[in-house]
Amino acid sequence: MRVLVGVKRAVDYAVKVRVLPDKTGVDLANVKMSMNPFCEIAVEEAIRLKEKKVAKEVVAISIGPKACVETLRTALAMGADKGIHVTTDVRTDQGISPLAVSNIIAHFAKNEEADLVIVGKQAIDGDNAQTGPMVAGLLGWSQGTFACGMEVDGQKLILDRETDSGTEKLSLKLPSVVTADLRLNEPRYATLPNIMKAKKKPINTVDAASLGIDMELKNTVVSVEDPPVRKAGVIVESVDELVNKLKNEAGVI
Amino acid sequence: SMHPASRVVASRCLRKTLNSRLSSLASYDLFNPTPEHAQLRSMIRNFCDQEVLPQAIEYNRKEVFNVDLFRKLGDLGVLGITVAEEYGGAGMDATAAVIVLEELNASDPSVSIAYLAHAMLFCNNLNQNGSHELKQKYLPGASAGSLICGMCMSEPGAGTDVLGMSTSATPSEDGSYFTINGTKMWITNGSLDGTDTGDAFFVYAKTGKGRAPGDLSAFVVEKGMPGFSLGQKITGKLGNRASNTAELVFDNVKVPATNLIGKVGGASLCMMRNLEIERIGAGAMAMGTARSSLDIMTKYAAERKQFGKPIGEYGQMQKYISESYSQYMAGRSYLYNVARQLDLSTYGNGLDADGVKLFCAPIAKNIADRAIQVLGGNGYTAEYMVEQYWRDSKLGEIGGGTLEAHHKNMWRDLMKRRNIL
Repeated sequence: MRVLVGVKRAVDYAVKVRVLPDKTGVDLANVKMSMNPFCEIAVEEAIRLKEKKVAKEVVAISIGPKACVETLRTALAMGADKGIHVTTDVRTDQGISPLAVSNIIAHFAKNEEADLVIVGKQAIDGDNAQTGPMVAGLLGWSQGTFACGMEVDGQKLILDRETDSGTEKLSLKLPSVVTADLRLNEPRYATLPNIMKAKKKPINTVDAASLGIDMELKNTVVSVEDPPVRKAGVIVESVDELVNKLKNEAGVI
Repeated sequence: SMHPASRVVASRCLRKTLNSRLSSLASYDLFNPTPEHAQLRSMIRNFCDQEVLPQAIEYNRKEVFNVDLFRKLGDLGVLGITVAEEYGGAGMDATAAVIVLEELNASDPSVSIAYLAHAMLFCNNLNQNGSHELKQKYLPGASAGSLICGMCMSEPGAGTDVLGMSTSATPSEDGSYFTINGTKMWITNGSLDGTDTGDAFFVYAKTGKGRAPGDLSAFVVEKGMPGFSLGQKITGKLGNRASNTAELVFDNVKVPATNLIGKVGGASLCMMRNLEIERIGAGAMAMGTARSSLDIMTKYAAERKQFGKPIGEYGQMQKYISESYSQYMAGRSYLYNVARQLDLSTYGNGLDADGVKLFCAPIAKNIADRAIQVLGGNGYTAEYMVEQYWRDSKLGEIGGGTLEAHHKNMWRDLMKRRNIL
């Protein structure tokens, strides 16, 4: 089985982001960037499949500027076999649409003869959560999103999927697209020997523009603003007053 | 002579080469010279955020060595960071060791000092000076973390006066073993659980009667060798409380001659080769706590409000923070510049190794002190970590060479040079 894993270079989860003064987006200057946490979980799951001898090769793909090579090297150091860097200079948090990303990933899923595509359920900058399902749609493959457990059984993928009402068990016919949720696994640290081994693993560089995929943004960001400052609470005198406010002012009952 | 057109082309080529050389110099990261160094730092920092920092306060309070956490460093492949790959190590350079020490110390100096004693004072020294057989015997286990090791040099009666040590190693009649007698003091990783010794030690002992470097030899002494025991675990230390420091007793310990490191009388070579990485290692540790203290006090000054405004708007806070920053950057740059040029297989720049530690150790202490002052009452309590970094950083002025020892060494080294630079 061959596995393609998407890894996105996004703002580090611990960073307290600030909005740009012109409200066109979040200020990314000098901000710490890391592999999207859900992408780490996706890589970890792919490596575990390799260790179980279910997967033969794990290919990591990243879309973005030159610095994405670092993200790919992290995936290689975790155990991926090779990397694909699709280069573009647009802001990857909001300058490229999930549809374009999905088309790129679908293109390479076919190119790399992948049987399984694993991506994070969403990226913590865009929070779109669209790429996984769209890739499945474009390829005509089965999909399992919000995966919290995964087993390969011959040509079937048995997936545990998190929903609001509990965990559901799905049986997917390969090839499939899976999106990784938080509880799927705990990603490993890249050990020093593996960091050194990753130096020799190949990364192919491809210009996004050369793929013949429509990169035009159909949805543009109008403005990005801070959440409203939390207003002070109000002290009420009686239960009747409380019910009245909840009904007529807050509109929640 | 060149045709004018060729001359123009040649000078344009030269300018292009020069420009690209200058731009690559500008993009050279002294602190992360290669992408692998950067990845190592990022991996260790993540590990520290997730696993080292969260246990720092608790283990410091309990004064217990976190052995499980230490063994995880073995899983990460950093315990034998400078050990040859042939013996299970990572085969990396001084800069890599400095990166790990700096990052570990920025979270928990007790973990970092245990790492220094194990990875540098035992593993690196044995890797450089031991026989193939000795290295094969101890380094794979030490690199994996199944053996936790240290180094024995100081004694109750001999600290800076190294050659004044009295632990002796007497060869047997047939030369097949040495008998070691004496006591060693201040041994990091001297005990793991407080009841018995650590696993293996790089032990310096006198094989000669005098005070010359040639009177000193070095041996590997293993846990369980009859006569080798834990004297006491030292408690009530000012800092590094979660690192076990011990007194170790050698009572007619018979050590096979195959455990001699190098030659009889060859210990000073071991010392010379290892001293430089030890000292800049201590400098790296100092820069770790310096960074954390600086980070904590800067963020605090921006958020804490008194009289309606952040305290960072007051000049005294600005002075503490800005002076700390520039001293930190100066120390860090000196440290990494020396690390970059340090050849682990030889010696020859003791002057800058001493210089780095002499400069960085007090800086770390002072920055932690300012951090406590900026945090006020909050700085005085365990929760904000700066009081621990203040106590832990004091050791930098004493252990691994006192400030006064550095003065002595640097004067001697400067006298050997014709010019300062």
